[in-house]
Amino acid sequence: MSVLARSVGNAFRNKIRTAAVVAVLTVAIGLALAMLVANQAVGAKVQELNASVGTVLTVNPAGGQGFEGGGEPLTAEQAAKAATVPNVTSVVGTKALRMRTETTTASGTSGTTQTQGGPGGGPGGQAATAVTTNLTAAVDAGTLGNRNNTSNGTGNGATGNAAGPNGTANQTQPAFSLPITATGIEAEVDSTGKALNITSGTGLGDYKAVSGKALLGTTLAEKNKLSVGSTFTINGQTFTVAGTFDAGTAFGNNAVYLTLADAQKLANLPDELSTMIVTVNSMENVDSAKTALQAALGSDKADVTQGQRNLETAVSSLNSVKGISLVAFIAALATAGLIILLIMVMLVRERRREIGVLKAIGAPNRTIGLQFVLEALVLATLGSVVGAVVASFASGSIASALISTNTTTTAGTGQRGAGGFPGGGAGFPGGGPFGGAQQLLTSVTASVSPEILAAGVAAVFGVAIIGALVPALLTARIRPIEVLRGE
Amino acid sequence: MIEVKDLVRQFKSGDRTIKPVNGVSFELGKGTLASIVGKSGSGKSTLLSLLGALDKPTSGDVIVDGVSLAALPDTKLTEYRRRDIGFVFQQFNLIPNLSAVDNVMLPMEFAGVRKAARSARAKELLEQVQLDPEKHGRRINRLSGGEQQRVAIARALANEPKLILADEPTGNLDEQTGEHIIALLSSLSRDHNTTILVVTHDRSLANKADRRFRLQQGRLSEEASRQRVAAPAS
Ligand SMILES: Nc1ncnc2c1ncn2[C@@H]1O[C@H](COP(=O)(O)OP(=O)(O)OP(=O)(O)O)[C@@H](O)[C@H]1O
Ligand SMILES: [Mg+2]
Repeated sequence: MSVLARSVGNAFRNKIRTAAVVAVLTVAIGLALAMLVANQAVGAKVQELNASVGTVLTVNPAGGQGFEGGGEPLTAEQAAKAATVPNVTSVVGTKALRMRTETTTASGTSGTTQTQGGPGGGPGGQAATAVTTNLTAAVDAGTLGNRNNTSNGTGNGATGNAAGPNGTANQTQPAFSLPITATGIEAEVDSTGKALNITSGTGLGDYKAVSGKALLGTTLAEKNKLSVGSTFTINGQTFTVAGTFDAGTAFGNNAVYLTLADAQKLANLPDELSTMIVTVNSMENVDSAKTALQAALGSDKADVTQGQRNLETAVSSLNSVKGISLVAFIAALATAGLIILLIMVMLVRERRREIGVLKAIGAPNRTIGLQFVLEALVLATLGSVVGAVVASFASGSIASALISTNTTTTAGTGQRGAGGFPGGGAGFPGGGPFGGAQQLLTSVTASVSPEILAAGVAAVFGVAIIGALVPALLTARIRPIEVLRGE
Repeated sequence: MIEVKDLVRQFKSGDRTIKPVNGVSFELGKGTLASIVGKSGSGKSTLLSLLGALDKPTSGDVIVDGVSLAALPDTKLTEYRRRDIGFVFQQFNLIPNLSAVDNVMLPMEFAGVRKAARSARAKELLEQVQLDPEKHGRRINRLSGGEQQRVAIARALANEPKLILADEPTGNLDEQTGEHIIALLSSLSRDHNTTILVVTHDRSLANKADRRFRLQQGRLSEEASRQRVAAPAS
């Protein structure tokens, strides 16, 4: 008979009570483990989402983004300033041009009016400059494009009617073709900072210099029957196709990349940038670099964003779920500890005389204390075994219940934001993958990994030991003379 | 071997204090078998608990082999109870959910005796107190009072103590089994030089004693002693 054997025997001395205690412990421990699993699953998802955003920050002029909004354009001087921010590894400036097919422009009487805010030209057009090209868009306007065009056209129609002759031209506009985005870049990356996937030909060589060369999206090149070495014009100036790239989306492939210098020259706006793509050295530094960058550039001059904005809300709501599950884990764990504390205090009181006997026959205090701690651990083990089984079945549904109740509103807004982009169902390239925040949230699956369960059980044992320590220390105060007292 | 000096133990019950032990002094030599008689409530169990370091005296001291118990810290007192004392309680005080063998093994476990050795010795002791071998593995709460009493005696002998304090060790036994226990105790004192102090009203046990005491009004008086032949010196 060892101390351990005695503890196990004592734990089962009153079987009905043991069953009741284990049942209550199971609920507390099961809940604690399920919360831990949910916490880990959500944490993993948050990390995954953050990793998908990567270490790239996007700087837009304050109050503007893409072809929308207002404010002052970014400058080369600001890019230089951004490069000096700690942890920033590279700054790539871009200059976006909105190209309209020449035939479309020709149908309007005045080309200059068009640049002021023609159909699809977008309001403001501060950061992007409109130019003409002989290329035809690879994307058909379709329902979305036409709807978009009409809604823009209505506002324009009013001005057109007031101008007189233009009114008729606007009303009978049969073949509307989508604009093509030409982006001047300082490095071989797309407008979200991802490396370009060149499928034929070469890159543009020196991206800082004026080269007269261009990279075309695969579908755009096909549509216009262009290949490496062919030429096309922008604003009447000839460009040679240096290569083609595949952006992975139909919208992304309806685009042209030039060197930054070429784009600035075409726009006749040297030094001016549409956006800056800032790469930070590591994930951990993204937040601090973002703050530092915002401070360096001034919040009245530039907006610094990290990846997709609806992704940010998704991450923040996931983070609050993570926080809730952590609190619940700690609370359930503390409950388990409290249950053990109370039951052990009760047992010590009940076995007062027996503890006296053990002391009277020479048992050292620590042996008796150990016996009670081990007995508490036997109860905790039983609770953990049953609790782990319960948790592995319940954690999936607990995690999804937590997420769906906490994020339905956020998810709804996310979807609206993604669908409501102007420009024929297409925002920036790369806007697509995170269209549905809902989708992304329900994809959190709480898989029960053995390591996490083991860590949870270890925490339960730690709490059980703490809970049992108080009653175990109480046994040290019991005097051997208790043995002579009546029951 | 054991020297008791002006021992006092008082209890407060309500507004008055009682002194079941009120200035007790005596000495017992090694291997002495001594008996104490006294009315119920006269303080016999109280005196034994003071000698066995289960309780602390209000004043006075107990000196065992030259060591004063009053001066010992709690850990040393625990060691004293474990190594030097075998206590047979009036109410047996066995652990009810353990078997007879396990109960006898307990003091040896605390003393660090190896498992095989302690189970062998426990069985041997239970045989010495004439407990039916088929009852060795039986739980205490399924044994009769007399059987429990014998397990309690076996447990007291487990660590070969130098002082056995037994409170009515034959109280629940039939005459024949009682005689056997008396013979066992008497042989321990004679052959193993164990000092034994028994509280008893059993005339045949008292008759075997080398010295006989009576506890009355908190004081101990020795009755005309009948010196045993070749009693060893203290
Ligand atoms: N903890 C205590 N508090 C108060 N009074 C006590 C306490 N312990 C014992 N007493 C009293 O001390 C007196 C002596 O008790 P004790 O148990 O020593 O008697 P006893 O001689 O062993 O009697 P018995 O022969 O019935 O066993 C009794 O009056 C008892 O009520
Ligand atoms: Mg008594």
